[in-house]
Amino acid sequence: MKSREQEYRELFMAEALEYYDAMSRHLSELERNPQDGAALNELFRLMHNLKANARAMGFVDMGEVAHKMETLFGQIRGQERTFTGLLVTLTFQSVDVLGNMIRAVGAGQDTADAKPLLENLDRLIKGEELVEARATQTEEEADADASRKLELSDLVYIPVKKLDNLLNLVGELVIDRDRILTLAAELGHPALEATARHLFRISDDLQYSVMDVRLVGVGVLLNKFPRVVRDVAAAENKQVELVLTGQDVQIDRNVLQLITDALLHLVRNGVSHGLEDAATRQAAGKPAIGKLRISALTERDDVLLQVQDDGRGIDTEAVRQKAIRKGVVTAEVAATLDEEGVWALLFEPGFSMAEKITDISGRGVGLDVVKLAIDSLGGRLRVASELGKGTAFTLVLPTSIAVKGALLIELDERAYAVPLLHTDTVLALPNDQIFAVGGLLMTRVQDENVPLVPLRQLLYAEGDEPLPRATRADLDPAMTLHQVLIVSYNNRRLGLLVDRFLRQQNIVVKSLSKPLDTIDLFGGVTLLGSGQLCLVLDVPALTRLFLAKRP
Amino acid sequence: MADSSAARPAAPSGRAAPAAPEAVVQLIVFRLGDEDYGIRIEQVKEVTITPEVVRMPKTPPFIKGIANLRGDIIAIVDLEERFQLRPAGRPVPDFSYTLAVEAPDYTLGLMVREVPRPVTLPVSLIEPAPEFVQDSGQRDKYLEGIAKLPDGGVIIVLDMPKLLTPAEIMRLPGRADEAASKSTKAAPDTAAASQKP
Amino acid sequence: MNKRILIVDDSFYMRTMLKNMLTDAGYDVVGEAANGQQALEMAVATNPDLITLDVILPDNTGLDVLKGIRQQQPDAKVVMCSAVGQETIVNEAIENGALAYIVKPFSEERVLEIVGSALQGDGTPA
Repeated sequence: MKSREQEYRELFMAEALEYYDAMSRHLSELERNPQDGAALNELFRLMHNLKANARAMGFVDMGEVAHKMETLFGQIRGQERTFTGLLVTLTFQSVDVLGNMIRAVGAGQDTADAKPLLENLDRLIKGEELVEARATQTEEEADADASRKLELSDLVYIPVKKLDNLLNLVGELVIDRDRILTLAAELGHPALEATARHLFRISDDLQYSVMDVRLVGVGVLLNKFPRVVRDVAAAENKQVELVLTGQDVQIDRNVLQLITDALLHLVRNGVSHGLEDAATRQAAGKPAIGKLRISALTERDDVLLQVQDDGRGIDTEAVRQKAIRKGVVTAEVAATLDEEGVWALLFEPGFSMAEKITDISGRGVGLDVVKLAIDSLGGRLRVASELGKGTAFTLVLPTSIAVKGALLIELDERAYAVPLLHTDTVLALPNDQIFAVGGLLMTRVQDENVPLVPLRQLLYAEGDEPLPRATRADLDPAMTLHQVLIVSYNNRRLGLLVDRFLRQQNIVVKSLSKPLDTIDLFGGVTLLGSGQLCLVLDVPALTRLFLAKRP
Repeated sequence: MADSSAARPAAPSGRAAPAAPEAVVQLIVFRLGDEDYGIRIEQVKEVTITPEVVRMPKTPPFIKGIANLRGDIIAIVDLEERFQLRPAGRPVPDFSYTLAVEAPDYTLGLMVREVPRPVTLPVSLIEPAPEFVQDSGQRDKYLEGIAKLPDGGVIIVLDMPKLLTPAEIMRLPGRADEAASKSTKAAPDTAAASQKP
Repeated sequence: MNKRILIVDDSFYMRTMLKNMLTDAGYDVVGEAANGQQALEMAVATNPDLITLDVILPDNTGLDVLKGIRQQQPDAKVVMCSAVGQETIVNEAIENGALAYIVKPFSEERVLEIVGSALQGDGTPA
């Protein structure tokens, strides 16, 4: 297992090398244009961070050099001095020294003596004469430069396929581990139990390490968007300023892969439908240039990817009318939907908001592809919008797809798992809290009428006919309390009547292999500690089935 | 398919009986209904006592469910029910065997009621199924041929690659091509027990 | 329930170290922000019991972020993180409602002491 010191060291190295590259780049920019304030600010910040990190790691000299450089850049920023002459030479030299120090740390070597450089920096800061301003490289430095080229990178590139395989193996291991733990407890053998607990910890660490290896910065995807936005904006004849944030938020590479098209779609949608053209914007008293922000942030175990525009916002009534026109929803149902309910219709298949067909969005696909991609990952979609102000779509994604929290329920003496992401509440309802309306059983949950359906009926009803009209007489009279799991999907709540609740558990979902992979009611299967197979219910598919079959 | 292996006398299966001058084929033979069926041994991954099977809703009745076979989650198919070969009134046995057969990218379990046995026989004994038979019925569509044994027994050799495409496995008996061949179909009682479109 | 903390620092290394220290001590780190904009958004999204805020950020100064947070959430408890040599910023931060400051490089005891006492207070600057 990796020690924390080692982890810190690796993080430090990765970041320090990144800082070094950025420093070199910004320094060249500053040399070309000494008035480049942005480059100056970045240099100041990078030196500041390197200083703080180096000191935390105990690399005193590196911290000192960075500290003095920070001070120097602070002075330039404060216009106490200009970026000219010897200062330029010395800063380039210092960044080189920092680079050598960082590499030495990476190679586990001692860093060279920085005393002469520090003294010179001190003099420079105080405005004194330099002892020796070398414009040329010493032989030693030239040697160092030459040998640098022979260094092997500390980074190893691993094909994603190998990582997938590793993760699958770990998944297997975790399943067996849980079995061993159960068996050990049943046998009551103390030594075996102790070993099983140890195995538990180790495999847990292993699982997280493997998941950790697969994490990449969201930036690898976000950085592709400036070009996309530029192209779409040009085609649409719009002016767009793109802001990217959170590039270093970490996410599983495969999650990112699966979400690429969805994000592309949202961004295109934002430019072509969200943002208005310059004239419209100005008429509305807005700046001519529209703003599009793509940001990533972490929230607990989830990663939030947000596409936000300051455009016209969603016209809720127009969406409502169009959904009725397109047959996505009946007029009666549409009338009952609140704002968020109407927005959710945007992601229904067959709904495409564009009345005008453009090059960009007239491709016959709607935002439902976004929803499908998120569903496949077990994620969620949030919409926020204000008319005239703008719209924000937020994708709530799991950082990793290996382990899911799930609620285990029992039906006909079989366990089923329901991912926690889609579970809302569990309720034990007495008969008098369930009523029948229009052939549906209902209950009130937080001032909302939620339909109830026996899970058994959804799972086993054959054919495409609607479910039979339900009355309270259908409720099992032997049950004094009815066990209800409220699931939610796309702002829709549905109560599933189950036999009983078992427990909450982290599960490793295995996807179903052929030929059963076409049964969409199940998101996969998991093995419980007892070795028992347990089907994982797919709440979106269950909800869709219920909507299709409601009486 | 039968003649392609016959044309290769040095095929691996020939090694099992080096004395025989003629190409032989090894089959795993099991009973479905009241007949003997065979699958080429190289298509069978293993034979095992049927593990615990979990019924999977929304699948045809001949899919008995899923089972955990050494970490592989596989579908278990009851071929008797799939081919409508089970005599009326005969129950599904409590205890059965499963042949794990390999398709190109998945494994499938075939549930059989009696312990399967290996049989080695000369390739020449397998008569290719006639073309017209292949078009007509359910089971006949997946036949490689029929082996007539010297003792008078008959083994129906199944063409696994043909049966193992997911679309074929999931197909309900008499569903997709029933418009073409329904008139000649028998055994309406068992068909009625399965799902109707 | 554990106290919930939001970490704002543009260095992943610093965030990780701080997160480990706080998590080990039983706090819930509910979010990590790497710049000012994220910090403001996440402060709203996570509504933490305490925010640790770096004084130098890529898009904004920590001071601006502090002001922004105090504006949108007047009761927010903020502890500044700074390296030595930025005492002037620190003083200004305290005047603008920061409860305390932690000097980088962090010592674990010092971090936990400051965070602990900041959380005990009622949110008004010391």
